[in-house]
Amino acid sequence: MAKIQVEKLNVHFEKNHALKDVSISIEEGEITAIIGPSGCGKSTFIRCINRMNDLILGCKVDGNVIVDGNNIYDKDVDVVDVRKKIGMVFQKPNPFPKSIFENIAYAPRIHGVTDGDGNVHKASKKELQEIVEWSLRRSALWDEVKDRLDKSAYNLSGGQQQRLCIARALAIRPGIILFDEPCSALDPIATAKIEDLLIDLKNEYTVLIVTHNMQQAARVADKTAYFYMGDLIEFGETKQIFENPKEKLTEQYITGRMG
Amino acid sequence: MVSGGILSPIIGTIILMALVLLISVPIGVLGAIFITEYWGNHRISRIWWMVVNNLAGVPSIVWGLVGLGLLVYYLDFGLSLLAASITLSFVALPLIMIATKEAVDAIPSSIREASIALGATKWQTIRHHTIPYSASGILTGIILSLSRTAGETAPILLTGVAVNAAIPNSLFDSIQALPYYIYLMTQTSDRSAAIPMAYAAALVLIFLIVVMNLGAIVLRNRYRKKYRW
Ligand SMILES: Nc1ncnc2c1ncn2[C@@H]1O[C@H](COP(=O)(O)OP(=O)(O)OP(=O)(O)O)[C@@H](O)[C@H]1O
Ligand SMILES: [Mg+2]
Repeated sequence: MAKIQVEKLNVHFEKNHALKDVSISIEEGEITAIIGPSGCGKSTFIRCINRMNDLILGCKVDGNVIVDGNNIYDKDVDVVDVRKKIGMVFQKPNPFPKSIFENIAYAPRIHGVTDGDGNVHKASKKELQEIVEWSLRRSALWDEVKDRLDKSAYNLSGGQQQRLCIARALAIRPGIILFDEPCSALDPIATAKIEDLLIDLKNEYTVLIVTHNMQQAARVADKTAYFYMGDLIEFGETKQIFENPKEKLTEQYITGRMG
Repeated sequence: MVSGGILSPIIGTIILMALVLLISVPIGVLGAIFITEYWGNHRISRIWWMVVNNLAGVPSIVWGLVGLGLLVYYLDFGLSLLAASITLSFVALPLIMIATKEAVDAIPSSIREASIALGATKWQTIRHHTIPYSASGILTGIILSLSRTAGETAPILLTGVAVNAAIPNSLFDSIQALPYYIYLMTQTSDRSAAIPMAYAAALVLIFLIVVMNLGAIVLRNRYRKKYRW
């Protein structure tokens, strides 16, 4: 069964039909790149997967998004529970104006920790320390910050802040992580670090990444989805999309004749 | 006529300020946070803020009249501490609400999104992010509005002060307050005795306001250090 099954997803912002009948099936442990020209609905699409569009006034979502077998748009679904299982990293690094430690400890602190039997209890200090260290190691930031965990996250460089945001997302132990152009504010070296990290996270996590950078999509993604004006034009193996696109529109975009 | 000393007006002003704080801070701060965070860009909220902005510009004598009609007569509070402090709260409330809104709006929405995306509820986001990050701005706003209300004469003149009133024992006693005392001293016939007392009272009033503003600065700096962006 697919990790994320999207069926006939339609999104309207007032009268603007931003996503049209999008159906896609995303397998567990794969990286899927979402590409397409600006305004085609990439961000809107990934924000449907953790219901972040709920925050936008006048946004209407129809269709099914089935995550681990449950439709997250069902009426009796608690949206907070949906978001607890899905991490999200944004275009601009957005750490909290708190210490590095507190940034990562925030989610486990408010959610508690789940033990082996599935019971949730309040996180102890020691558990928080473990989660913080584990998350920072996992996001390849530990060695750079281990001596200044109590310092403000705002003292970090942009690339470090973005890895901190990844660590913060990892701390909720999500099965899925959504990245919305995570490298567009970063220099090539910081970008390379994030890309390495993405490849490292693969298999363990199901990753969706929006990117404007074709090379980046080609380097990290197993599958690639091409959106154009709210339609999902083509979805398939990254290699096939880039080397042998079936659709004319995809080919035009890939070869740089559009967008 | 110039009998009573300055103690009753000083205590009166301090009690008034305490009551204004008690009334307008919870309503003003929580109300403004609730409206900005939960109603966001709804039309109701835009209309609301237009109204509040206008209320902030209403001359204080008009609030005095409202207090006189509504509190003193209609609700039959009489010339009392209660009527005066509620009337002063009318003056302070819009100012506190506007200061709170500005402090809350200054927080980048990307920070709220980060919290929500981690599975925090709206209330958790408000409690752990909105309130702490805007606290310095809100505190400054509260104290500045309060020090403005401390000097208001017209609203209390119509609703709660009386010549030579003693230190109040209940909410329904009339009181004295520094701005009113100053006004009274400049109006009396026995000028040589009264004018120095007016200046003395003015000095005390200014001192109170300076102390409040210093408090605002200290609190603000403490929060600034803690949450910097
Ligand atoms: N908050 C919003 N309110 C109204 N319309 C919106 C909102 N967010 C997006 N839209 C509209 O939805 C459509 C898709 O936008 P979206 O942000 O998903 O594009 P995108 O592919 O992520 O673009 P970019 O590459 O520039 O980030 C656009 O037409 C946009 O105007
Ligand atoms: Mg986008």
